[in-house]
Amino acid sequence: MTDPVRATVIFYALFWAIRLNGCVRRGRQPRLRGTDWFFNVHVQPGFYDGAGKRLLRWYWMRMMIPFAVDIPIAIWIFASGRLLLLGWLIIGLCAVIHANHLISVDLAERQARPFAVPDAEQPVASITLSLTPRRLRDYSNLKFEVVLIVTTVCALVFAHDQRAGWKAAAFLIYMHAGFVYAKYAIVAWRTDHTEVHEARRRFYLANCDWCRALLTAQLVAKVNIVVWLVITVVSTVIVEIKRKQLARLSARVQPVTLPDLLRQSEIARWPVCYQPSAPLLMLKGARGYSINLANARALVGIAYVTGFVLLGNVL
Amino acid sequence: MYGVRIHHTLSTDPVLLTIDTTDPRPIYQQVADGIKELIARGKLAEGSPLPPVRQVAADLGVNLNTIAAAYRALQDDGLIVIKHGSGAVVASRTTTERSPDELLRQLRTALTELVLAGFSARKILTIVARELK
Repeated sequence: MTDPVRATVIFYALFWAIRLNGCVRRGRQPRLRGTDWFFNVHVQPGFYDGAGKRLLRWYWMRMMIPFAVDIPIAIWIFASGRLLLLGWLIIGLCAVIHANHLISVDLAERQARPFAVPDAEQPVASITLSLTPRRLRDYSNLKFEVVLIVTTVCALVFAHDQRAGWKAAAFLIYMHAGFVYAKYAIVAWRTDHTEVHEARRRFYLANCDWCRALLTAQLVAKVNIVVWLVITVVSTVIVEIKRKQLARLSARVQPVTLPDLLRQSEIARWPVCYQPSAPLLMLKGARGYSINLANARALVGIAYVTGFVLLGNVL
Repeated sequence: MYGVRIHHTLSTDPVLLTIDTTDPRPIYQQVADGIKELIARGKLAEGSPLPPVRQVAADLGVNLNTIAAAYRALQDDGLIVIKHGSGAVVASRTTTERSPDELLRQLRTALTELVLAGFSARKILTIVARELK
C-alpha cells in the first residue's frame, strides 16, 4: 500500500473506533437526566417498564442505520481495491450520522410525548433573550484568521508544485470554506441566554477552527502519518472530555418548551418549505424538521453540497 | 484561539430583553418598549449596536416583520438609527416625537388609574422611586 492509501485505511479504522464510542454516548442520551426523562420529555413514572422500553429499543435500532449504509459500501471499496474512496465514505458518513441522530431524537421525543407528565409540556410564558449582537466576527480570533489566510495563500503560491497537485489543494480549500459556512450557521443558531448554550456554541466553533487549522497544516507540509494519528487521537480525547462536561451541565439544566409564536407546526411542510418571513433555517413541523428554502443559509448549504459532489467527480 | 469555558448559570449579559406571551401588548410593542426601557436605564448607551432583526426574530422564534416593526417604531421615536448594511445603533436617550405636555398628560392618566385602583399616595411614590432606579 502507498502512503496515502495506508493513511486512509488507518483513518477509516480510527473512524470506527470513534463511532463506537459515539454510539455508546448517544445510547445513554435518552436517560441522561435520569429515569424520569426521555431526552427532553418529562415522562410518567414506570415509563421505561412499558412503552419507554420499546421506544428506547427503536431509538437504539435507528442508531444502526449509518452502519447499514457504511458496511456494504466499505465491503465494495475493499473488494474493488479503490481504498482512497474510504476518505469520501468517512465524509459522507459524518453527514449521515448527524442527520440520522437529529431526525431520530426528534422522532423519539414526539413518540414519547403521549407518555409525558401532564402539563409538563406546557410552553413557558416568558422568553428572555440577549440584545448583544452575535456576528461571525464576534466569535473569530483576528490573529488566528490572519495567520490562517497568510499561511494558506503562501502554501498555494510557494509549496503548491511540491505537493500532490491542484486537486488536493482544491479539496482542502473547499473543506475550509465548508467549515467557515458551518461557523456562520452555528453563530446564527437560535439560543437562549444560558451560559451552557453559549458554551456549546463556542465548543462547536472551536472544533471548526481546529479542523481549519489542520487543513491548513496539511496544505503547508506533508506531515508524517504517525504525526497525524497522534494529532487525531489527542484531539479526539480533548473533544470527548469537553463533550462530557457539556453533557453533564446540560443534564442539570431543566429543559423548557418554548412557545411556538411562529406557528411552525402549521407553516412547516416536511421536508422542505418556503417561508420568507420565518428567520429560522430549520422549522419544526408536525412531522419533523423542515428546511426553510427561503433562508439564504439553506441555499448556500445546498450549493455547497452540490459543489462538493461535483468536486468529488472532478477529483 | 478562544477557550471553551463551561458554566451552567444564566449569562451575566446586562442587556437582556424579556417577552411575556401572556402580556396583552403585541410582541413588536413589547420588544420596542423593552428596548426603550434599556435605553432609558442606560444599559444601552448611545452608539451601542443592536442585534440584527434576523437574530432577534430567530432567538424569539417570531416573524421577521414583527421585529422589523419594533425597530421601525424605535426609529420613528428617534431612539435608534437603522443603517442599511451595518445594522441598527442606539441614537439618543431622548425621544423627539412627543411634547412634554403630552407626556405629562400620560403620566397624569397613569397616576389617576393607580389612585382609582386603591393605591395610596405613599405606595405610588414608592413604586415611582423603584421604577426610576
